[in-house]
Amino acid sequence: MTGIKQVLLDPAIQIGADLTTWLSLGGGDGLKAAIASPAGALDTVRDSGLRGMGGAGFPTSRKWEMLIASEAHDKAIVCNGNEDEPGTFKDRHLLEHTPHQVIEGGLIAAVATGTNQLFFYINPHHTKGLAAMRRAVEQWLVHDLLQAAQAAIGKSIKLAVVESSGLYIGGEETAVISTIEGGFPFPRRKPPFPAQSGVFGAPTVINNVETLANLPHILAHGAAWHRANGIGDAVGTKLYSLSGDVLRPGLYELPMGSSLHDLVFVHGMGMLSGKEFKAVFTGGPSNTLLTKKDLDVALDFDSVRARNSRLGTGAMIVISEGTSIVRKISEYMDFFANGSCGQCPPCKSGTYQLSRILNRIDAGDGSDGDLAALENLCSILPGCGRCALIDGAVTVVESSLSTFRNEYVSSIRRRD
Amino acid sequence: MTAIPYAEALDRYRANAGGFPLRPDDATIAELIAAYHPDSTGGKAIPLKIGVNAGMLCQPQVAALLQTNALIEDVDIAGAEILNTDILVIGGGGAGAAAALTAAGEGARVILATKLLLGDSNTVMAEGGIQAAVGDDDSPQRHFEDTFKAGHRAADKELVAQLALDGPDVIRWLIKLGMSFDVVGHRPFGGTLKRKTPGGATAPRILSYRDFTGLEMMRVLREAVGLHRGIQVMDRSPAVELLSDERGGCAGAVVYSLEHHRFVLVRARRTILATGGSGRLHLNGFPTSNHYGATADGLVLAYRMGAKLREMDSFQYHPTGIAHPAHLAGGLVSEAARSEGAKLVNGLGERFIDELKPRDVVASAILREIQEGRGVSRDGQTGVFLDVPGLVAAKPGILETTLISLAHLAKKCRIDPTAEPLLVTPTLHYQNGGVAIDTHGQSSVPGLFCVGEISGGIHGRNRMMGNALLDIISFGRRAGAHAAEARAEAYSSRAGIGHIHDWQRQLTLADLPLDARGPHVFPDYGNFDLVADAGIGPRAAE
Repeated sequence: MTGIKQVLLDPAIQIGADLTTWLSLGGGDGLKAAIASPAGALDTVRDSGLRGMGGAGFPTSRKWEMLIASEAHDKAIVCNGNEDEPGTFKDRHLLEHTPHQVIEGGLIAAVATGTNQLFFYINPHHTKGLAAMRRAVEQWLVHDLLQAAQAAIGKSIKLAVVESSGLYIGGEETAVISTIEGGFPFPRRKPPFPAQSGVFGAPTVINNVETLANLPHILAHGAAWHRANGIGDAVGTKLYSLSGDVLRPGLYELPMGSSLHDLVFVHGMGMLSGKEFKAVFTGGPSNTLLTKKDLDVALDFDSVRARNSRLGTGAMIVISEGTSIVRKISEYMDFFANGSCGQCPPCKSGTYQLSRILNRIDAGDGSDGDLAALENLCSILPGCGRCALIDGAVTVVESSLSTFRNEYVSSIRRRD
Repeated sequence: MTAIPYAEALDRYRANAGGFPLRPDDATIAELIAAYHPDSTGGKAIPLKIGVNAGMLCQPQVAALLQTNALIEDVDIAGAEILNTDILVIGGGGAGAAAALTAAGEGARVILATKLLLGDSNTVMAEGGIQAAVGDDDSPQRHFEDTFKAGHRAADKELVAQLALDGPDVIRWLIKLGMSFDVVGHRPFGGTLKRKTPGGATAPRILSYRDFTGLEMMRVLREAVGLHRGIQVMDRSPAVELLSDERGGCAGAVVYSLEHHRFVLVRARRTILATGGSGRLHLNGFPTSNHYGATADGLVLAYRMGAKLREMDSFQYHPTGIAHPAHLAGGLVSEAARSEGAKLVNGLGERFIDELKPRDVVASAILREIQEGRGVSRDGQTGVFLDVPGLVAAKPGILETTLISLAHLAKKCRIDPTAEPLLVTPTLHYQNGGVAIDTHGQSSVPGLFCVGEISGGIHGRNRMMGNALLDIISFGRRAGAHAAEARAEAYSSRAGIGHIHDWQRQLTLADLPLDARGPHVFPDYGNFDLVADAGIGPRAAE
């Protein structure tokens, strides 16, 4: 068993938008270290092994290096707080309860990369988080530390809170840029990648809320300290959003690399009403399902990938024997069909068809032909969209079809 | 407990016939109720452990039922048929029928699901009548004050005021539907409504049809529902769980078709629970006057979903249930008998209470006689006499014209009501509390309405005779009309039973057993087992 390790969720720093208190609790130390040596900050982050917590797990320092390499005067960093996928509720907690942790992280990133525009891109549905961030940013704008940061990079730094569209697709990198530019949240083709041409043409890096929130601690305590917080090869801590059929759902900060078994059975206190464990939807329901045989998996980016799934945002939606997989998949497919932006026809009609067929099977009106149609769609749809929405949607259907085919069949047979 | 043998008591009764002395009484009403009412002397009310009313005092058997696990799991309804409707009414009694008729009258599509058959309910067993302030010497204000006072000032004043104000219009509506009422004046058509005084009232306010008013009411309601094209009736389809949307509102219900042995999901924009009370739980071991279906199903489902309850430690015990013969125990002798002037007489041949006091007072007084050895014992059954022969002597022909059900009941008891008094004892009759509602019947759960006996707050801690029939029509119509306004709204995006997971979490964390399941659907002696009937037992081997 591994214990809870609270860095970002340390109860002492859940203070809301109060900059004075934040600074009195040791906040600001990380930023001061970065200001003292911007190049050293990059090295520290590289050595810490910090990776993108929004789902991709891409090394944060590599993203920054692309930005640093650019000669452009204007550069942008976007803090992505669009968080909208089912079962994920970590960013909204950080935004609401420790906005200064996130903002300081953003400023550290700006100092390390010489960036003069910092956007906090927030889902307007997180009303409390949005309000807290606005209050928090106002306090930074008049604080000496911001002056010091500007002096360190030799440019004035723009801090802005931007409301996202509140749509799932609005969290996609290029959709983020489009929204900040005042457009519809439509993903666009890559290349050019945001690091080449992002917000209004400026090279742009998009970092997740949780990624940025880690920075003040890494800079203040050092890379070695951060690496030691993880288990095995994994580094740091991770916020796991645990939901579904467990006794104690909630947000848990554990060492990166804690096992799925510990999360579910120790921290989640086991399955609800003594039911058998069936499966887990990881990282928002767009990855391959983990099943009973995967309970021993370490929840870090590489170990989960080794099981052909992804850690994603760290959301774990646990399903027991008492819950129908088909209902859940059908529910998530409704989400994807509603979330598709409609630009790419295969995604627009593909998610709709998948959702229609799944709803039909769930309502007991399915036929064997529907199963064949699902399999057919799963084989032709992947890779058809500008973004990965359709790929995620297909992955979860395909995975459930291969693992829980009997549930689909029995839903079809139930009405005979 | 001693009692006076039947033969001896009958001799004393006959010796005093016509002029039973009223025994002087020192006890105040409050003392009487505190010492003898089953709410005080039965199972001690305990605080609820979980749910929105955690900490509220509740009758222990009801508390145990409220804190049960759901009957079904998510997998059990995978592949179940889905029906869509504007309004789902659950319950086929008077409240459900009135709500369905009103909603359909507003143009909403209505599904009415009932566990038994439409009309097969407590409404048809209501004998005495319906209260409405229609007399020259009466007013809704007096009706309000009588009701509020009889309820020990525990009721929600707004609800009581609404009830009293609705009275005359309810009667008009029922007459338009074709319901007959007793009238005074011997004309072939029309006449003036005949009024009687209920226990605890300051003016004659009971309107009745013979002594089967509820049956006559349900007759016209049932016909009207059956003939309405906008209402689809699902008989023999008990609700086993409510459907919730992602915001915790009610999105319909899971009903179980007893005929086809399968679950049907009814998605609705609004759901109206009219499932009645809880008499068939036989609280505190009492017999009940209630109908077979009164197992508190709706109460359990609503509480599980987060609806606030009130006065769940308060139940009404009707003073005059049949005590002998045993197989008819609990059967109701209408308050109409006392309302017409029948006296209660103990084994010593004396009256011991003013029979027109509120029901809880009279019931407590009868229980005092029995507990203090002045009851009458016959074949092991104990009770007191209801002086029907005296009433017949004073009002000849009353059994043929007014108290028809009473004559019928006496025949079933194999006694001659003109010569022999009935042996009666209090019987579990009504659930005073229930789901807290507003004047539209809206509960604290969005999308969920509760009307009729399931609701609480109208009658406080004691219900007057005739207010139940008024309550079901008054609030049934109000809920139906209000719910129908939602007919153009979009359905909630998801309807499932996710709320039971929260409930199971609370059960586990409060150390309550998960294998106790509810609602009962049928009384224990009905030997109904949903798991076996639906074939949804443990699927481990599958």
